[in-house]
Amino acid sequence: MVRSIVSIICASVIIFFGVLYEGKHIDNTFNELNLGFHLLYDKIDEQTATSDDVLSIQKLWLEKKKSLHVFIPHTEIKEFDMWLSETVTLVRDKEWADAISKLEVLIELSEQIPLTFKFRLGNIF
Amino acid sequence: MLVTLIRTFIIFITLIIVMRLMGKRQIGEMQPFEFIVTLIIADLACIPMADVSIPLIYGIVAILGLFILHQLLSVLEQSGFILKKIISGSPSVVINKNGVDVNELKKNNMDISDLLDSMRALGYFSLEELDYAIFESNGKLSAFENADAPKSTSIPLVMVVNGKIYNQNLQITRLKKEDIESFIKQNNGSIKSTEILTVDGTGRTYLKQKHQKYTTPKFLLPEGTSW
Repeated sequence: MVRSIVSIICASVIIFFGVLYEGKHIDNTFNELNLGFHLLYDKIDEQTATSDDVLSIQKLWLEKKKSLHVFIPHTEIKEFDMWLSETVTLVRDKEWADAISKLEVLIELSEQIPLTFKFRLGNIF
Repeated sequence: MLVTLIRTFIIFITLIIVMRLMGKRQIGEMQPFEFIVTLIIADLACIPMADVSIPLIYGIVAILGLFILHQLLSVLEQSGFILKKIISGSPSVVINKNGVDVNELKKNNMDISDLLDSMRALGYFSLEELDYAIFESNGKLSAFENADAPKSTSIPLVMVVNGKIYNQNLQITRLKKEDIESFIKQNNGSIKSTEILTVDGTGRTYLKQKHQKYTTPKFLLPEGTSW
C-alpha cells in the first residue's frame, strides 16, 4: 500500500512538472518565433526585407525545433519548415504579396500550436 | 530505421518498469480494471513506437497516466471491502449444496454451458461432482469437490435448461420430448419449473427444479444408447 502511494505521488509529480515545463517551453518558444515573424512581416510590408532577415528567422526556427520535436507532432514541424522555406525564396525574389501570405500562415501557426496544449474543454475532447 | 529501434527500446524499458511496479497480479490473475489497463497499454506502446511522427513523450505520458490510475484503483481496492466490491466485483457462488444457482449465473451473464465449460477445464464433467463452485472476480472457477458423488464415466448432456428442452441433444440420446416430460413428471416436476436436467450415458441424471435441492434419479435410456 505504502509503495503504491509513493509510486502514485512520484508519477504525479513527474507529470505535474512535465506539464508545467511543456507549457512554459512551448509558450516561450512560439512567442519568440511570433515576435520574429511580426518583425519580418513589417519589413516585407514596407518592402525592405532582405534574404538575410528571413534566413535569420529560419536559423532561429531550426534552433528551436530541436527541442520542439519532443512535444509537438513532427508533421506540424514539417509544415513550419515548408512555409518558412517558401518565404525565404519569395523574399529573395522580391515577391512581396506572396511572401506576406506565407508569413501570415506562419504567424497563424505560431499562435495556434501553443493553444492546442492549453487546458481547455475543446482540447480534451 | 535506427530511430524506430531506439524508440522501441525506450517504450519497452518504460513498459517493463511500469509492469514491474504494477505487481505480479498484472501478469497472472487480473481484475477487470487491470485487464483494461493491459489492453490499453499495448496500443499506447505500439502507436508512438512505430509512428515516428508522434513524439515519444505522448506514449510515455499516457502509459504513466494509466499507471497512476492503476495504482490509485489498487489503493482504493485495498482500503475497504465495499470499494473492492465496486472496483473488482465479488465472487459468485454458482453451485451450492442445493445445486446450480441459475439466478447467480444470470447475474454474471452466464448460462449453464459456460459453467460446464469452466468445470471441464478443471476436470469435472458432472454438476453432481461439485459441492460448491465459485466464479472468482477474475473470472476463474474455483471448485469444492463432492466426496460422495460417483465419478462420471460418460459425459452428461444438457437436456433441459430454464424450462426449455435442448433439441440437439435429443438426437444423441435417442430420446423424445415426451420421454423427458414424463421423466420430469415422475419426479414431481414440470418442464417449466425445471432449471436444469442433464443425462449421462449410464442414465444418471442431475435434475434441479426451481426452489428445490437437486436430485439424481435414474433415467431408463433406450436400449443400445451410449455416448
